[in-house]
Amino acid sequence: MLVGTGDVDALARRAPRLEAFPAESLVLPDVEILQAVFELEGQGIESFFPPGLHPTLPVLAVFAFWRAIEGPLGAFTLAQLRLTCRSGARPRQLLVASFVEGETARAELNARFAFAAKPAEVTLARFYDRAEARVVRDGAKLLEVHAGAPLPLAASDLQFFASIHPAQTPKGLRGVQIDTEYAIARAERGRPVLDSFDAAAFGEPRLRPSYPVAASIALGDITLPRVRFVVRPDVLAFEGTEAV
Amino acid sequence: MRFGIFYELSVPRPFAPGVERTVYENALEQVRLADELGIDTVWAVEHHFLEEYSHCSAPELFLTACAMQTKRIRVGHGAVVCVPAMNHPVRVAERAAVLDILSGGRLELGTARSSTWSELGGFEIDPDTTKQTWDEYIRALPRMWTEERMSWRGTSFSMPERAVLPKPVQKPHPPLWVTVTSPGTELDAAERGIGCLGVAAASYAEQERRTREYHRRIQSCTPVGAVNENVATLNFLYCHEDPKEAARTGLGMLGLFGLSNAHLLFTREAYPTRAYGSLANLAPGPRAAVGREGSPADPSGIPEGMAIGDPERITRAIKEWESIGIDGVNFLLNAMETIPQEKVLASLRLFAREVMPAFAKSGKR
Repeated sequence: MLVGTGDVDALARRAPRLEAFPAESLVLPDVEILQAVFELEGQGIESFFPPGLHPTLPVLAVFAFWRAIEGPLGAFTLAQLRLTCRSGARPRQLLVASFVEGETARAELNARFAFAAKPAEVTLARFYDRAEARVVRDGAKLLEVHAGAPLPLAASDLQFFASIHPAQTPKGLRGVQIDTEYAIARAERGRPVLDSFDAAAFGEPRLRPSYPVAASIALGDITLPRVRFVVRPDVLAFEGTEAV
Repeated sequence: MRFGIFYELSVPRPFAPGVERTVYENALEQVRLADELGIDTVWAVEHHFLEEYSHCSAPELFLTACAMQTKRIRVGHGAVVCVPAMNHPVRVAERAAVLDILSGGRLELGTARSSTWSELGGFEIDPDTTKQTWDEYIRALPRMWTEERMSWRGTSFSMPERAVLPKPVQKPHPPLWVTVTSPGTELDAAERGIGCLGVAAASYAEQERRTREYHRRIQSCTPVGAVNENVATLNFLYCHEDPKEAARTGLGMLGLFGLSNAHLLFTREAYPTRAYGSLANLAPGPRAAVGREGSPADPSGIPEGMAIGDPERITRAIKEWESIGIDGVNFLLNAMETIPQEKVLASLRLFAREVMPAFAKSGKR
């Protein structure tokens, strides 16, 4: 069975501190969503994951953008990079890095849900022929992606999966399971194109997203519920899953 | 009731030199024994790129070896992937006919469309199209086998008039099946007059409902060829006189298989589409697989309907399947070689000696 071989100490050094597990949900209304998915290439993909997680074959790099124009966190745009994996038998996506434009949102998402988001100029625009998004920091373009030829789908055709956010928690170093819920009002599938990507800026210079898979373009309400489970990064899920 | 053995040919890591050969040789030894013991069919999947889970990418070769080493057991594709990028329909018809000839008319032909992104993506296949190409194949294959020459104008393939050769031994042609993973495929099978080759776990109640609907609908089918009204399900077999030993070993196999299945990258996880209605699953749910969701009344932790246990327990489970209209049960005998070969063979012998006599051969075909 393929398991992660990543360095847990290195994970601990970059994991943000989560002072307390959130007791309440956070509802974000009318969020524009873009998820652009690419297969990851290269040897040693196991090392991107801690020993508590199993990489999928192939591993998918999921570039996820959320743009809210109002709501409890005000206007903000979030960019995340997640990698597909399994915790035990469950499908999960490991958060590698995230960036937010919008200080209030950044502070809240980091403090309550361990997004470890850095400030950046993050944009997401949806047109009828394409959706495009980018991340710029200190004048440098870190990521640019677009999705063309959108095809309407039913909301139920899209699938979303829980994320694992590494964090120093009250229980110690853990992967915090974020069971994000999506109430989708509009759904499309597009063809993703990765125009530029600075892997080092996302914390993992060896990441090579290559083969384009699909992009989801959607509008809907996003709920970040209270945290129910965390996983230990050093042991497999059957032993290392803990209720909060 | 007909019994089959079913091969994914899973290979455990690390992939040391010779390990794949050992897996294949163990499987062939099991097939030879199954032939002697009166098992009806050996099935082999077609999968590509599924590391560990299945190294069975050329089942027609494996099944040919099975046919050459046995006398009476039928050989079944479980199943050929019916999309042009993997298998042109003419090649499917030709290979199937040759295997039917070499086996002396012992071929069963299962059809499928693949359910993982690992496979579809690997061949750059658009998941939106696979149901359509499958449908075209199953209408074309019987014509290729039964008509002296045939032509085809379709969406997934076209060809001018040609003689597709050779023709199969079985007349009018080998039985056709479709693998049933997603709920609803049994209706596709019924409406086309082909058999249901179950490869996903369902409860007794759910399977009974699906089977009843299949038999109801097939009465008014538009057959693509010779009607094959049969429903078979997939199961796991570990038979041992000691129920505790059976549960310990059998559940280990079941859990490992379920876990490795859950690690596959199913199409909808990667690619939003209406063409794949669910995150398909070939195995019992992982929680069931580790015995957490067995019947509350069953302290063994063995999930409902599994052929794991002593002969008496297995007989009861299969009688239950029989009572809801199942015509055949196909067994996985091992997963990742977790059970030593001698134990697999002993389990099969015990099953043949103590369980099979309780079931009459089905006359259906």
